[in-house]
Amino acid sequence: MPDKNNLTPLIIDDTCKVILESISDGVFTVDYNWKITSFNHAAEKITGISKKDAIGRHCWEVLHSNMCEQECTLKKTMEEGKPFINSSGYIITNEKKKIPITVSTSLLVDTNDNGIGGVETFRDHSLVDQLRKELSTKVKVEDIISNSSAMEKIFNILPLISDSDSSVLIDGETGTGKELLARATHNMSPRKNKPFIAINCGALPDTLLESELFGYKKGAFTNAVKDKPGQFALANGGTIFLDEIAETSPAFQVSLLRVLQEHEFTALGAIAKEKTNVRIIAATNKNLTELVLQNKFRQDLYYRINVIRISLPPLRHRMEDIVLLVDNFIHKMNICQGKFIQGIDQKVLQVLMSHDFPGNIRELENIIEHAFVLCSEGYIKLNHLPGFLSLPANINDVLDEHEDNNKDPVESAQIKLIVDALARNNNNRSAAAKDLGIHKSTLFRRIKRLKMAL
Amino acid sequence: MKISITIWGNRISPLFDVASELLVADIENKKVKKKTYISFDPGIPLELIKTLKQAQISILICGAISTQPAELIVQNDIKLISFATGNTLKLLDCFAKTGDIDHKFIMPGFTTTGGLHHP
Repeated sequence: MPDKNNLTPLIIDDTCKVILESISDGVFTVDYNWKITSFNHAAEKITGISKKDAIGRHCWEVLHSNMCEQECTLKKTMEEGKPFINSSGYIITNEKKKIPITVSTSLLVDTNDNGIGGVETFRDHSLVDQLRKELSTKVKVEDIISNSSAMEKIFNILPLISDSDSSVLIDGETGTGKELLARATHNMSPRKNKPFIAINCGALPDTLLESELFGYKKGAFTNAVKDKPGQFALANGGTIFLDEIAETSPAFQVSLLRVLQEHEFTALGAIAKEKTNVRIIAATNKNLTELVLQNKFRQDLYYRINVIRISLPPLRHRMEDIVLLVDNFIHKMNICQGKFIQGIDQKVLQVLMSHDFPGNIRELENIIEHAFVLCSEGYIKLNHLPGFLSLPANINDVLDEHEDNNKDPVESAQIKLIVDALARNNNNRSAAAKDLGIHKSTLFRRIKRLKMAL
Repeated sequence: MKISITIWGNRISPLFDVASELLVADIENKKVKKKTYISFDPGIPLELIKTLKQAQISILICGAISTQPAELIVQNDIKLISFATGNTLKLLDCFAKTGDIDHKFIMPGFTTTGGLHHP
């Protein structure tokens, strides 16, 4: 019969080894000469260096962390004899790849409590960082989420649209996710490994738009000191997204029509035509059919780009998505900002459900982002919402103060908020809109709706 | 020939991206003739490249390095030998004699020095 007292240390030792080898955090130990004495499986996986190569080497030769030279927490632990938890940094792998990590360190002691070195655990934060990046760049197919029947119809046909090479016209109000849908179409298409280039046609003057899209040759105009390829050349094999297509001039529309018909274009100042293989996805928040009837948009181009049409519904027509969208934004912002917001208060939901969201999903996201700044934990409450959504308690004072004859307290409060925001920002409407957490066009519409004389 | 090494005390700095001191060595007839130490801002690799080019330094030896500065250095026609480790002066003597770095001066995970040269 084996002696249980003698077996226990062995069992504990083996158990520790099994645990260390099975956890997803990298763990290694060093002696007082900074040489690695143990290196677990996760450490091998994260660093890409085998235990065999790591053991006996200085820890900085294996980790190559930004903390090694100056802020080594393991050094601090071994000097001060106390642990440090979750210090952030990064390591560079042998493939020159940067891996963000968090590090925790503590003193390694023997059975007599004598210090024999240090132990460091490190966690790979690549996924969290990737999520942060995706959130900030807002380029994720999965970001389009909905429970509404209108969106479900779009989701059903999206794979078919993606597979085809036909031009697509996306229409919808500002903030409904036109670019997101265009990106999703590209990402699901056979062109997904080629470039997706988004151009805002409304943001560029006509000549600049042509040189941007078609490129130019050296000497084509003053300052054209060398050849510059256009986006049609750069996006070859991929997709070009032309946002605000209705804002283009008739002259540009002719040039674009030629590209769509002939699949070729001429760079400014060039003699020869260049072939292009680019899929066009255009978007507008205007009614293109009406613009065609008013001769403000070329009919032939309209038919060329309107091969497949997707109409994105405004948020006020898919209010059932509010809860889903809010949850999604909270989930992502929690990860991004390292917070633990649990959700929204029932009253907040009521306020959101009664709002008409002229800025659509972008406006909802801005509202949640605003609330995140003010709410540190628990549930988002009414006082965390931007001013234009919360009803001030002293509404009568506000009315008196502004001598407003308007009988609607909500409208009066909105007027006060806009007036205050404009005053704070020297009547700069763009800055006031930013201050209020809404889009500039939303502010303009609201000023018009409230019949404010400014 | 002039070469430079990013250093940390008497060692090669483990990570170029945060290194802030450079040893510049003049090598003639397989011997180190002159050594100069320069401080630099690791946040602005282009400034370092400018310094290297002005001083006609054609080779940079460093520890680990991330893709972005590595590409920047190579694009500027500076030969990069990365993932080097160990005592700076010993490596320098070895490099002066052989024109390459010995296997004992490479970081763990590499079996040959070939993969460390760009280009």
